[in-house]
Amino acid sequence: MTGETASGTRPSRPYSGVRVLDLTRQFGLYAGRLFADLGAEVILVEPPEGLADRQEGLTGDFARFAFLNASKKSIVIDEAAQGATAALERLVARSDIVLLERGGPFYGDVERVAAIQPRAVVTAISPYGMTGPMADAPASDLVLQAAGGIAWMSGRIEDAPLSLPFDQATMVGSIYAATVTAIALADAERTGRGHVIDVSIQECIAHSLQNAVQVWDLEQRISTRGGAGTRDATEDIFPCRDGYVFLASPLSLGASWRSLVAWMVEVGHPSGDALSQDRWVDREWRLTAEARAGFRTLFTAFTMERDKETLTAEALARRIVMGPVNRLSETFSDPQLAHRGFYRSVQLADGSAVAFPGPPYKLDPQVWTASPAPALGSADAGLTERAG
Amino acid sequence: MKPDFLSDVRLADFTWAGAGPFGTKIFSDFGADVIKIESSVRLDSVRTGGPFKDRRSGVNRSGYFASRNTGKKSVVLDLKSEEGRRIAHDIVRHSDVVSNNFGPGAMERLGMDYETVRRIKPDIVYLSMPMYGEDGPRAELLGVGMTISAVTGLMWSTGYRADDPVGPGTHYPDHAANPYHAAFAVLAALRHRRLTGEGMKIDLSQVESTINFIGSAMVRCAAEQHDRPQPGNASWRMAPQGIYRCAGDDAWCAITVATDEQWAILAAILGGAAMAERFASVEARLGARSEIDRLVGAWAAEKGADLVAETLRTAGIPAALVANARHLIEHDRQLAERDYWQRVAHPELGHSLYASPPYRVDGERVELARPPLLGEHTRDVLGDLLGLSDTELDRLETAGVFK
Repeated sequence: MTGETASGTRPSRPYSGVRVLDLTRQFGLYAGRLFADLGAEVILVEPPEGLADRQEGLTGDFARFAFLNASKKSIVIDEAAQGATAALERLVARSDIVLLERGGPFYGDVERVAAIQPRAVVTAISPYGMTGPMADAPASDLVLQAAGGIAWMSGRIEDAPLSLPFDQATMVGSIYAATVTAIALADAERTGRGHVIDVSIQECIAHSLQNAVQVWDLEQRISTRGGAGTRDATEDIFPCRDGYVFLASPLSLGASWRSLVAWMVEVGHPSGDALSQDRWVDREWRLTAEARAGFRTLFTAFTMERDKETLTAEALARRIVMGPVNRLSETFSDPQLAHRGFYRSVQLADGSAVAFPGPPYKLDPQVWTASPAPALGSADAGLTERAG
Repeated sequence: MKPDFLSDVRLADFTWAGAGPFGTKIFSDFGADVIKIESSVRLDSVRTGGPFKDRRSGVNRSGYFASRNTGKKSVVLDLKSEEGRRIAHDIVRHSDVVSNNFGPGAMERLGMDYETVRRIKPDIVYLSMPMYGEDGPRAELLGVGMTISAVTGLMWSTGYRADDPVGPGTHYPDHAANPYHAAFAVLAALRHRRLTGEGMKIDLSQVESTINFIGSAMVRCAAEQHDRPQPGNASWRMAPQGIYRCAGDDAWCAITVATDEQWAILAAILGGAAMAERFASVEARLGARSEIDRLVGAWAAEKGADLVAETLRTAGIPAALVANARHLIEHDRQLAERDYWQRVAHPELGHSLYASPPYRVDGERVELARPPLLGEHTRDVLGDLLGLSDTELDRLETAGVFK
């Protein structure tokens, strides 16, 4: 390809020329990351001690810092110091996008930020939004998953609702913030008029509840953890010789179901005959506890004789909707991800190189790169000069 | 507001089911012309999936479909017929984006693969989002949203305890990571086209997209070279944190004590100065997690979840009732105050309920337009965009191309 640099990336990238001032602290950090990987200059403003994730011990989280802040630049501004506000205002004045978060600089001054740079998109990310009775309520990732309704949806019915792991409120809030910011930027660049976006993470989560809102509105049923009465007997996790597989072969995926049963019959497994009986063509019955327990017994008798690798290979060959339940570490050796060269190697702050997720999308022309998260204040000199 | 931010963008949208249409919906909500090209023979599974208005099934009665397709136009075409394919190519010629979420090879079979489309429209932005990517040894593996959770490690990591995976209760990757990574990539590609004049091919593997949603955990796992035990509702860094049973039927409250100061406050509420001191440090609290959880649990169990949450929030401790959809719709004051819920008129769904895009833009809500009936815009789009005459449209209809 023509016009590529030594690193294989084009000189012109989707967000080339776009300056993002990232004043987020926690929930909004992934939004700036997405712009940075596609060519925007994203300046993360940190307090003198750095963001909490940089800290040692229990306060910090080096992995989260490395992932959420890759490709960004870091500058330090001590909000308590004289001239801090003026320095921040100068940075705002040169920005196309300003990302704010409750608890960070300028969150209470959104209108002033917009006045300083009327062409900019100012996106303010907060747990519950900038208005309303909960605007100032304390929050955590878990608490927002509860308040937004997604914690309710997972877990076993006999146990407590179960939250999703690894800061999903942060990820959901950030990705909605990033997409609406990109849309508002397209308009701002076209018209010369900026926009102010008020992102509520609670609302973001409530927007990602599958069809639970409509299930209540149209059928007055509450979608609840466990899936009793709504999930087919086959839609579940089943143990096998060396771990677990996930299967989904309801009658709406009829080819998968037929292929699954045919396989068991073909190899002469007794579960094949049992699952060929008439009652397994009854959609309603397949939702019952009896069917679920029955299927589990029959299918587990089959899977326990096989390992994940074999089951996955057969699923692939026989067009059965089934895949391995991988541990995180198993994804590093996943043959498909390896074939696509998904994982990259990135250097952490301590100098060690680790596997690092590649892009969420493969783009041609290749315009995505991720560079290691910045050292604290590593862009101070250059930016102060330009901002001043 | 009815924003026109994307009014200069047109999508020829072949996506179906959950993840694809959710990602293109944001374009129609912001004023883009999204032409959903579908089939009345092989229906979008979400049209037939429900929930249905009055629990009566019908291709235009699914609330799930409605929630993923606001503001789009629907064109039905028989893409297996030569004329249907030619018309689809003509729509593509007038479009900026072609989007699909079929498995590998399906668009080729429809004559809509990237190379063909690029010959028709050289600067096209072309989005594919198969589960595992377009090429490779497991590219053909079939899956639903939960399969993506399984393969990525998300399912393994969602559980109450070690070696007992439960997984997200929804097809979670379809509702967050994948539609919005896809939308973000298309928006970036459109800007790239404005800068350079060249189009872009986007191959979004839904597995790779979802791994990015748990990217921090992947980096940690790579650095530590082992799988940590599942955190459940607890935290590796803070305690107490959990979801505690409250008085009432299936009533729960989520609580996080993030700092030593918050612990001092909670200990005072629970009624023990000795307790406050004994567990003053986060190390002490993490070490005595189950003991502290029992104390918090005993206190919460006697009160309603709303009271527990309100008491703690007022004192400065993060807490919230674990809301279900009904609670969010009927009782959540914050969402009500911010006008989060919209009712939109529709010929078959009546005035049914929609979640607004989850932000306010310049102080206003984005007003949604209703989703299309199956094939509702076939004649309009072909007439207005492609300039086909009524006579020609009648002929095509009689020939069975609109199905």
